[in-house]
Amino acid sequence: MSKVLITGNEAAALGAKLARIEVLAYYPITPAFPAMERLSKYIEDGELNCRFIRVESDHSALAAVLGGTLAGARCYTLTNSQGLLLMTEVVYHVAGLRQPIVMGVVNRALSAPHSRFPEHGDVVSQAGSGWIQLFCENNQDILDNTIQAFRIAEQLRTPVMVNYEGYLQSHTLEEVSVPEQEKVDAFLPLKRQPALDLTNPKGVNTVTGPEFYPTYKYKQNEAMLEALKLVPEVAEAYNKQFGANSCGLLEAYKMEDAEHALVAMGSIVGTARRYVDEFRKQGKKIGLLKLKVWRPFPVEALRKHLQNVRFITVLDKNIVYGVGGALAADLKAAFYGTNDMVINGVILGLGGGKCGLEQLDQAVKLTESDETEKNRSAWIAL
Amino acid sequence: MALQNTPVVPSGEPGALAEIANSRVQRINRPEITDQSQIDPVVLLFCPEGAISRSESGFIISYKLCKGCGICAKESRGITMVPEYTGPAGIF
Repeated sequence: MSKVLITGNEAAALGAKLARIEVLAYYPITPAFPAMERLSKYIEDGELNCRFIRVESDHSALAAVLGGTLAGARCYTLTNSQGLLLMTEVVYHVAGLRQPIVMGVVNRALSAPHSRFPEHGDVVSQAGSGWIQLFCENNQDILDNTIQAFRIAEQLRTPVMVNYEGYLQSHTLEEVSVPEQEKVDAFLPLKRQPALDLTNPKGVNTVTGPEFYPTYKYKQNEAMLEALKLVPEVAEAYNKQFGANSCGLLEAYKMEDAEHALVAMGSIVGTARRYVDEFRKQGKKIGLLKLKVWRPFPVEALRKHLQNVRFITVLDKNIVYGVGGALAADLKAAFYGTNDMVINGVILGLGGGKCGLEQLDQAVKLTESDETEKNRSAWIAL
Repeated sequence: MALQNTPVVPSGEPGALAEIANSRVQRINRPEITDQSQIDPVVLLFCPEGAISRSESGFIISYKLCKGCGICAKESRGITMVPEYTGPAGIF
């Protein structure tokens, strides 16, 4: 393992390069663009043997790599925010057609009003799309998760989004350990599963009547649930192969005797980790659960780690209008009828809003006060 | 719940919209002509897929185009819907 100082975008591009992607299509969008540029440079410099397809929109970008993967190639693309919304139709096609595409999503707030700052609003809109959703705490996670995503996707024939936040992660330099190419080749052997065959022409995405449609959807859901077993196995194999420290479905940080747990995903995990460290020094029994996988939702793993806590503060960098934070809603559903702990969802950091130690402290105090509204997420730092 | 024997990737032979792998047609029933002389020509208009045509020898049903909706058999005598074997393992 060599160590390099790279941005999150560079880590994503490096992960895709190490996975030896064969077809790439993207449509430039901020803040994902530097990753795209880096991949194009790898191709231009001859470091990556990959077919780059120029397209006129994000919709076409995903459609182009869908063609590539149907022909059996290992495919990758990136996008964020408005681009992800534009490609939504194809996002569902890819999942229904069971194609193992890996896509980097550089989370950015959605318009309107127009914003270029980080939050999880874009990926939350794809909650039910049938893609496995991985989240990254830091640049090391981005590289590790991108490589692991190809193995997960190809084994389950289910696409994977690797989410990391714009600017906070995409444009921030961090030290990253890079695995050797030969070892990645051994970790990711390419097993082609083409749906198209020149000698036996076929049509894909056939019109399907009510006799068959539910079966296709049931099998798609079974593959998603299978990810709950496969993701930790792949992480373990990755750690063994590369001496890395990649978590499975989630990571429990200082949770052994915790009475209060923070639950979060994405860049805010790093802040929450520091918050836990500081308050542990003061004797407060607080811990952190970092979610690596949001879809499928790891209900059993969460229940196992949270069964003995009194308070849970869920940090959501997204808003589902009329409901609250998406993660808080999922968590409350997961614990329905099982316990009498307080689960408080807080919404913070929307559109690049503040989500530092001060805001986390407000959230934690709100959870432990009597002011918590049981069925709503509270807004912090408005 | 009874799971159907479907391929992983929803796909089928080219040229037919409603097929799955191994040339099995995604139809529960297919129309069969039982009496050419009884058929009402309105079926030429009513078939939503244009699957019924007329030649010198009589009416012809294209099973490449037919989705098995049964409108022809409902609208006209001389055509009957019959169950069709579907899927690689035989579902019906």
